[in-house]
Amino acid sequence: MIVVLVAMIVFGFCVVLHQLFKLQVVEGEALQARALQQQLRSERIGAKRGTIYDTNGNPLAKSATVWSVCVAPGLIDTPEKESDVTAALEKFLELDKESIQKKLALKGTLYQVVKTKVEKPQADELMTFVSENGLTGLIFLEQDTRRYYPYGNFASAVLGFANDDNHGAYGLESYYEKVLAGTPGRVVSMKNSRGVDMDLQYSQEYAAKDGDSLVLTIDETIQHFLEKNLEIALPEHKVRNRVTGVVMDVKTGAVLAMASKPDFDPNNPYEILDDKKREELENLKTVATKEQYDQALREAWYAQWRNYAISDPYEPGSVFKIITASGALECGAVTRQSTFYCSGATTVNGTPYHCWVWASRGEGHGQQDLEHAIMNSCNPAFIDIGQRMGAQNFAEYFSNFGLTEKTGIDLPGEATSIYHARYTINDLASSSFGQTFKVTPIQLITAASAAVNGGKLMQPYIVKQIVDAEGNVISNTEPVVKRQVVSEDISKEMRLMLEQVVANGSGRQAQIPGYRVGGKTGTSEQLDSPKLKSEGRTPNTLSFFGFAPVEDPQVACLVLIDDPDIYNAYGSTVAAPIVGAVLADTLPYMGIEPQYTEEELANVATKAEYLINLDLHDAQYKCRVSGLKYRVVGNGTKVLRQIPEAGETIPEGGTIVLYTEEEGAGDLIPVPDVVGKTVEEANRSIVGAGLNISISGEQIEGTHQVVSSQTPAAGEQVEAGTVVTIQCVESTAPVTE
Amino acid sequence: MEAARPAGKTRKKRIRAEKGGIDLTFMFLVLILLAIGLIMLFSASYASAYYETGNSFYYISRQLLFAIVGIIGMFVVANIDYHILHRFAFLIYIGTVFLLILVLFVHTREDARRWIPLGFTTFQPSELAKFAVVLIFAHLISTNYDRMKDPKYGVWPFLALMGIVVLLMLLEPHLSGTILILSIGIIMMFVGGTDLKWFMIGGLLLAAAVVVIVLIPGVIPYAMSRIQHWRDPWIDPQGKGFQTIQSLYAIGSGGLMGVGIGNSRQKHLYLPEPQNDFIFSVVCEELGFIGATLIILVFVLLIWRGYVIAMRCRDRFGSMLAIGLTTQVGVQTILNIAVVSNTIPNTGISLPFFSSGGTALVMLLAEMGVILSVSRQTNLEKE
Repeated sequence: MIVVLVAMIVFGFCVVLHQLFKLQVVEGEALQARALQQQLRSERIGAKRGTIYDTNGNPLAKSATVWSVCVAPGLIDTPEKESDVTAALEKFLELDKESIQKKLALKGTLYQVVKTKVEKPQADELMTFVSENGLTGLIFLEQDTRRYYPYGNFASAVLGFANDDNHGAYGLESYYEKVLAGTPGRVVSMKNSRGVDMDLQYSQEYAAKDGDSLVLTIDETIQHFLEKNLEIALPEHKVRNRVTGVVMDVKTGAVLAMASKPDFDPNNPYEILDDKKREELENLKTVATKEQYDQALREAWYAQWRNYAISDPYEPGSVFKIITASGALECGAVTRQSTFYCSGATTVNGTPYHCWVWASRGEGHGQQDLEHAIMNSCNPAFIDIGQRMGAQNFAEYFSNFGLTEKTGIDLPGEATSIYHARYTINDLASSSFGQTFKVTPIQLITAASAAVNGGKLMQPYIVKQIVDAEGNVISNTEPVVKRQVVSEDISKEMRLMLEQVVANGSGRQAQIPGYRVGGKTGTSEQLDSPKLKSEGRTPNTLSFFGFAPVEDPQVACLVLIDDPDIYNAYGSTVAAPIVGAVLADTLPYMGIEPQYTEEELANVATKAEYLINLDLHDAQYKCRVSGLKYRVVGNGTKVLRQIPEAGETIPEGGTIVLYTEEEGAGDLIPVPDVVGKTVEEANRSIVGAGLNISISGEQIEGTHQVVSSQTPAAGEQVEAGTVVTIQCVESTAPVTE
Repeated sequence: MEAARPAGKTRKKRIRAEKGGIDLTFMFLVLILLAIGLIMLFSASYASAYYETGNSFYYISRQLLFAIVGIIGMFVVANIDYHILHRFAFLIYIGTVFLLILVLFVHTREDARRWIPLGFTTFQPSELAKFAVVLIFAHLISTNYDRMKDPKYGVWPFLALMGIVVLLMLLEPHLSGTILILSIGIIMMFVGGTDLKWFMIGGLLLAAAVVVIVLIPGVIPYAMSRIQHWRDPWIDPQGKGFQTIQSLYAIGSGGLMGVGIGNSRQKHLYLPEPQNDFIFSVVCEELGFIGATLIILVFVLLIWRGYVIAMRCRDRFGSMLAIGLTTQVGVQTILNIAVVSNTIPNTGISLPFFSSGGTALVMLLAEMGVILSVSRQTNLEKE
């Protein structure tokens, strides 16, 4: 009996041993894999996105840590816990109850994100509440980053923006996505069934590699000069479409500033910034279907995100004459002494072409040499030049100047140009003066820069350096010379002729006393615009290319105004003063000192001109050529008031304050007390207060002078720009040095 | 039964005075298993103890305390002549029945009325019931040995005694305990000399019952679904299959060599009660197939030694006691491992020497003491 019993027991153990062998040895690996599936959790560690700096290290786009708040619905197993969690989320995150409950209903999961991009203080408050109320593990945080653009809608077309998932969507953020994004890391760790790390258990971390940072060629200050002027131009000239501008280092092709207005705020890219457009959409909302409205909204988004400087080919018009002239000189079709006759119109192959001057004067420019043809921006002369070059030469230089290829600038969405593959004689005629083909603004400023920088076609670029998270330099961008397009001599001739355009030709409004500025105006018709059909008119593009100083060009600026709603719209009157204003700010900022000619010094006005009711850019131009400084108060586009008033004496080096808004005008400033102070001190405090100073009394070299009296008296409330006259006497007690 | 008593008494008188040494092999096997059991209990329990109570030593410290009490109890019992148990056989049985009735009214949990609260710990009457049945069976078999072929002595008294206990335990309900007690009882009857035809009749009845359950679904509710979940636990991985799947994950993760002692991952709240019924899953995970086999080998050695003691024992009472108690350890071990490895459908059954549980451990060690006490009589020359 006992043998049978032993046999039964042994049999029993054999059965379970067999089963264990099957489970552990035969199926072990498969079961282990399934076990690991539930034990191992892989968590993503976000890599910090790199910063985008301007050329001087000012951050234009940076990332900050924010938090995603998550819940573990699977662990919220009692109604009490559920109501606690709901209450906490409602209270601290301002979420609505319904959406929370929807998430909490997913009981099969341990991970549901309830809110993203929560800032640290808010997250801290929530987590304090969570730990105090025993909700740890039910509500938890996950690190995330958020993109900030400290300057708002600044350089937005260049920067683009990063989406909510920190993925670059537009602009540099998109082009340099791989560089900026870095590599996210992971932590693979063993978790118990509640999702908490097992103590002392396997945990492997693959560290995240933070993204590298970009240092741009963009200079925040110059960008600001450009954007400020473009922003004013938009309402000033009732621009229907937009204004676009590029400032470039003539010699290297480095982009110093690039902007289009209206633009967008990358912090909130889905908000329509343009008031006009927003209003239009609001109106549409009431009449259109949802689909139509959504479509319009999407189009508005894409329109404001677009970087027009590189993405939109346009007909360059007369600015292109720089290219025609340079090419013609280089291939020897013309010389500077060649003469061209303009009767006001010319006929090529039976097609008549009118010179722009014909409409206003009813006569042509007559006999002109090349310099005057450029100064006059004479179309018949350039048709003649084009014909003298011939289609083959013209096409060759068109291509040499880089107008048939993308410039290769490191920005996404660069468009290709649209040009004649084969030139008929009429194609050649209209192309000579910049019509019937399209190039992008970046192509044009690069080509025009080549014409004046000694003939080198540069590859424009916008990132000069990539640095890693610790600040180590990863790579530097060296300027790339694509090719020598024209000789140094011809380039110099071009510079001098283009200087004449600004000094005595159509580009006068770009003059800046103290600097030799060259440039070329352009007014082109958008012959293929859909508005021709819908509104029965041809919109214009007004543009100006300017560069300075002529003797050694450092900086070039191209501004184009797309479809202004003004009468008599010309590049010479609209675009030139904007470029003038940008360059007038930029040149001294770049450390290029003004060198006044005798003539300019003699021209300095002593009495204020009448500037009221002028467009701001006009008034600024008038101040500039009068050798006066000016200061603008307000955000308007027209001068409403000026101080000192017209006819009043302005002391040497004085400033005219231009008021462009009703509100700003009339703000009073107390006159500082300067009696007893030295002249330098008095000058500093009076000018510093926004007033003008006029010093009377004999100034004797080498003596120490102090202010004996002042008018208006100290403490009196006056308007900005008011002249404070001080009387100086020799000090009785000279300050020892 | 009344007639049986004087015979027992005369036997006891003769033997009581003789003393021999306890079986050291058996004692060491018990201590080895207890040591391994305590180590594995600590390893298996610290994670869940920490998560549940905040104190990783919660289970092991209690178990150690009971182990010490149990060892003392074991040696005390070993030094008592087991023949006095003849006198307590009915008393203990009646006490057990009383406690089994009591637990239906005084218990810690409503869904399984198995534990009587004692304040500092709980007491499980079914643990005592195992011993009570073994004892009374041994008593009856040894006194009625000559008449075992007669069903009046060899079948009905046993069925009646077992039936009362089984009925009460099913009321708790405590199915696994019931199965265990039935197995031990039947084996004791089998070894004790009950006519074999009764086992055939019982076997046929059991087979018929199984056929009825399998062929006519609904006779016993949930039977079919229970079998389905046993055949394929993955049909309800979050519900009824959960425990089994987690146990299989643990066993499978161990592989041949195991993940190393202390390194079980499944004990981190995946396995239900890793310190209790599923402790052997943790053993398999940490020590692998090789470790599990070695531990099973120690169990087999212990059981072998228990039977050797039974065989060498010169009187039937001691022999039957040793057989009953050894079989209890063997059957319980096999059932436990069969459950955790999903060889049989899941039912709660603990692993001797390993599973956490104070009264059960003290009880078990005292039973081992009884076997040791029996072993002291083995070297005597036969009557």
